[in-house]
Amino acid sequence: MGLVARVVEESGIPTVTVSTGRDITALVRPPRSLFVNFPMGNTFGRAGDSAMQREILRAALDLAVTAEQPGILVDLPLQWEDTFVYFAVETTPEALARQLKK
Amino acid sequence: MEPIRYVDALNNKYGAMGFPPYQWSENHSAPWTPLARPLTACTVGMLVSGGISHCTAAPFDPDARNDHRVDAIDPATPLDQYQIHDSYYDHSDADRDLNCIFPVDRLAELAAAGEIGAVASRLWSGFMGRTYNRSKVIEESAPALVDELKADGVDLLIAIPA
Repeated sequence: MGLVARVVEESGIPTVTVSTGRDITALVRPPRSLFVNFPMGNTFGRAGDSAMQREILRAALDLAVTAEQPGILVDLPLQWEDTFVYFAVETTPEALARQLKK
Repeated sequence: MEPIRYVDALNNKYGAMGFPPYQWSENHSAPWTPLARPLTACTVGMLVSGGISHCTAAPFDPDARNDHRVDAIDPATPLDQYQIHDSYYDHSDADRDLNCIFPVDRLAELAAAGEIGAVASRLWSGFMGRTYNRSKVIEESAPALVDELKADGVDLLIAIPA
C-alpha cells in the first residue's frame, strides 16, 4: 500500500497513509504517514466509537496540510486500552496449496 | 506498548510455511506533491487494502497473494452492504462497523460539515494480501488507479493498509 501511495504522489496527487504497522511503513516510506498503535483492523478505533474514528481521520487530513518533510512518519499520541498481539489465523493446508499455486 | 514488529512476525509465519522471506521495499526518500488547495476545497478519496467489497461483487480471496484486483467503492453504499474477506487481520470489529478500518461515514460527515470539500465519487479497495511482483504494482496497477483518481478530480488520497 505504501508503494501505491508513492506512485500516486509521484503522479501529482498528495497522499496520507494511515498505518498500524510502524516498522513496515518506516521501511517503505510513503510520502506522509500517520502511525496508529492500534491492532491491525482497528486503524480508526473501535466499532461504534464515531468520535475516535473522526479524530483519527481528522489527524490524517491535517497531516496533509501540516507535513513538510517527504517521508514524514508521525506517531499519533493515542493508546489502545488493552495489550494486543500479532494476529495470525491458522492457514489451512487447502489455503496454503492455493497460495503456492499463485 | 511498543509497536508490533510485523516484519519479523510475517517472516516467521510465512517462513514456517515454506515461503521465502518477504523482501519489503526499503526506501530512503519519498516523492512529494504539496496539497494544491485548502482541505475545505479538496475532493478526498480513500484506498483500503483490507479485502473489502460490495456484497454484490465477488468476495476477495482471503489469502490473496499477488492479487492486483482494485474495486471501485460507491461511498453511498449502506454499511450493511459490504463484505470483508481477509485472513491477514482481525476484522471482527470492522464487520460490525466498517468505519473502524474504512471510515466512509466519518468522511461523509466531514464533507457535510464543510471540513473537506467533497468525498470522491468513487473510493477504492484493493492491493490486499502479499504482493511479491511489486514491479507490476509500480508499472501497471498503481498507475491504472492514478488514471481513475485523476478522472474523479481527487485532490488528496487517504491510503489505509490492512
